[in-house]
Amino acid sequence: MPTQRLFERIDSIELQRVSKKYGSRYAVESLELTIEGGELLILIGPSGSGKTTTLRMINRMTEPDSGNILINGQDIMQLDPVRLRRNIGYVIQNIGLFPHMTIGENVGLVPKLEGWDEKRTNGRVRHLLDFVSLPPEQFIKRYPRQLSGGQQQRVGLARALAMDPPLLLMDEPFGALDPILRKQLQKEFLEIKKEIGRTIVFITHDIEEALRLGDRIAIMDNGRLVQVGAPEDLIFDPVNDLVSDIVDSERKFKHMDMLNVKDLMTPLDAKYILDGGMNACEAVEIMKDRDIDIGIVFENGMLAGKVEMINLLKCEDERPFLRDITKPMKVFALRDSVATALSEMKMSREHMAMVMNADTVCGILVSDEVLLKLI
Amino acid sequence: MASTALILHATWEHIVLVYSTLLASILIAIPLAIASLYNRQLASVVIYFANLVQAVPSFAVIAIVVPFLGIGFIPALIAIMLRALLPIIKNTYIGLTNVDPALIDYANGIGLSEWQIQRYIRFPNAYPAMFAGIRFSAILANSIAVLTAFIGSGGLGGIIFQGLIGYNAEKLLLGAIPAIFLAMLIDYSFALLEKKLTPAYMKE
Amino acid sequence: MKEYFHEILILWNNHMLTMRTIEHLKMFSIALIISVIIGVGVGVLIYSQPKMASPVLNFLNILETIPDLALLVILLPLLRLGTGPTIAASVIYSILPIARNTYTGLKGVDGKYIYVAEAIGLSPRDILLNVRIPMSLPLIAGGIRIALVFTMGVVTLGGLVAAGGLGTVLQNGIQLYEKDAILLAGLWTGILAVILDLGAGWIEKELYKRYDTWHPQR
Ligand SMILES: Nc1ncnc2c1ncn2[C@@H]1O[C@H](COP(=O)(O)OP(=O)(O)O)[C@@H](O)[C@H]1O
Ligand SMILES: [Mg+2]
Repeated sequence: MPTQRLFERIDSIELQRVSKKYGSRYAVESLELTIEGGELLILIGPSGSGKTTTLRMINRMTEPDSGNILINGQDIMQLDPVRLRRNIGYVIQNIGLFPHMTIGENVGLVPKLEGWDEKRTNGRVRHLLDFVSLPPEQFIKRYPRQLSGGQQQRVGLARALAMDPPLLLMDEPFGALDPILRKQLQKEFLEIKKEIGRTIVFITHDIEEALRLGDRIAIMDNGRLVQVGAPEDLIFDPVNDLVSDIVDSERKFKHMDMLNVKDLMTPLDAKYILDGGMNACEAVEIMKDRDIDIGIVFENGMLAGKVEMINLLKCEDERPFLRDITKPMKVFALRDSVATALSEMKMSREHMAMVMNADTVCGILVSDEVLLKLI
Repeated sequence: MASTALILHATWEHIVLVYSTLLASILIAIPLAIASLYNRQLASVVIYFANLVQAVPSFAVIAIVVPFLGIGFIPALIAIMLRALLPIIKNTYIGLTNVDPALIDYANGIGLSEWQIQRYIRFPNAYPAMFAGIRFSAILANSIAVLTAFIGSGGLGGIIFQGLIGYNAEKLLLGAIPAIFLAMLIDYSFALLEKKLTPAYMKE
Repeated sequence: MKEYFHEILILWNNHMLTMRTIEHLKMFSIALIISVIIGVGVGVLIYSQPKMASPVLNFLNILETIPDLALLVILLPLLRLGTGPTIAASVIYSILPIARNTYTGLKGVDGKYIYVAEAIGLSPRDILLNVRIPMSLPLIAGGIRIALVFTMGVVTLGGLVAAGGLGTVLQNGIQLYEKDAILLAGLWTGILAVILDLGAGWIEKELYKRYDTWHPQR
């Protein structure tokens, strides 16, 4: 019998004073956390700090002793657990693909149980395998043991996406992989994340992974939420030593005052440079060719500002010249302090700035990249 | 009553047959299992043969014995043994080989002789499996001994076969029920013995 | 050599071994099919009612010790001579190995698969049908293989209670002391049993191979 879809999209998940005890010990204690629709929230913290328990309470694999969990305002305790879980994708570290089923059967299991006919299930399975970069013709008939660890992990993700769930729970999905493979999958996952636009709660013990993937990071310790916020918040305003230990284990940020923009900027690739004299339509074509979403506009050797693809598409009809529609960019000098530069960028919600020496372009400063270079 | 005497006599014959077979099986099976330990080829032949013959119906085994050995107590004993040997050999062999090789290495290292290794390491480790094999063989022997009455071994099966001629239900039961009791008695006594013999460190 | 085969053929035809083999396999198949249905059923039942597991298995264990001929003849007053008691006795012996292996298999499925199954939204019934039972197939097959051997043994005894089959040839041969007939029927019965057992063993092994778990990077 098909399960009704509980929610098309996630607006919010609220955990209200949620507690779970095992014996006399709290696995999770008075957890207060709101997950916003569409974000990727990272849960990170020492082993045994209650991350998995938190995740399991969201799909009712574990029931809280007290407190409420609301999805889109609805108390999940009022939902049938099986139905709830079919609306939520779940991926774990050791994937647990069923060894007696082919890859196709593994991915198509829940659709089959939902009463989909063979053709529809098969189409869905093929689409998903394509989506996780496993050519269906090659993989659909294989058994899990015939796949490498990384390939199995992809299948695990495909299976979680089978019912197109608006919410994904991922418990150290890349934890068992070697570092190179992990990087590769993270890169692909970022692409996927853009495409699928779902709400994701993601547990990791790897801060680099957290900074790379997370929109926000929640730090847990001893069953409690210690701090939650964007990566920069945790780096610049850690509430305690545990947080600084986790986000900045080598204390590089402590010395940020000593670092200059010059040390952390990225050279500017010529493909980003556009001329102020071209019109919006020409620019869109050129940007498509060059595979860029953002362009930096110069006119007569002078920086005019930046343009973004999404804005250009809007004004294709009027065909204005770029010089008339550029947005201003922050400009820093080589010797400016990185800390100052980053906080200024954060204040104005920009993630990119120019670095110039007098009139010469030296490079760009990208806030995400700065953070990654530092850890 | 004549029938009571008849049953007692048949039961006695039955017990003698079962236990002689069991004893003979143990005496042959255990040395064979130990020999297999030192000769891989023998081991694989014995185990392979054991597995094969285990599938052959008892009645067929009994029948095949007849053209070679005729009928009577000895052919019956040999027919039963052909089946009862196997569980003991197999279990003893498995018990003896299932010793942590590191332990054997260590024993060699501290200078135990081959005999001492057998006596103090392999055998104690093999007891439970051996015992389970013997218990299983005893039940099997009791079962086949009913059947061997057909080739003149006497015992409780004799009464059953008399009952089958002309279909005498009373006789059928008089033969069958003591045989069933005997089976349960054997099983129960072996269970008790097993409890007594299990070394303290192996008990839970 | 040729004469030798000729004699065997005559012997074979005189004792109607083709017909007896068909009778034999017919009884055998019916008994085994019933055993599988009941055995797997009992296995699933005691898995879902764990309190019943120990008493049921103990009871079946006691049945198992009963000498096969004795079991066969105490069924005669109830079921009359013929195939009925033979099939019934075969089934009584075969329930235990199948039920026990089914039960062990269902219980023994690695917890991580159950965890995942729950996480992706399988109900307890879905888990039983799609995860536990299929993952227990190698063990269930092992139980059926043991049952196959038991059934072959009891069906051969059927000859003694007028059920037909190869046992009839053995019985007549021994009673008339026809050495050649005994040897031929005895060997043929043995070979048949061994072939069926080897076949079942092969299936069991294939299932293990197919269902064996592959552990990623441990
Ligand atoms: N099923 C359980 N039974 C008993 N204790 C548990 C159980 N699950 C988790 N715990 C305990 O709860 C605490 C939090 O566990 P968990 O949520 O798995 O931590 P994390 O995922 O952060 O490593 C640990 O101390 C763990 O031992
Ligand atoms: Mg965990």
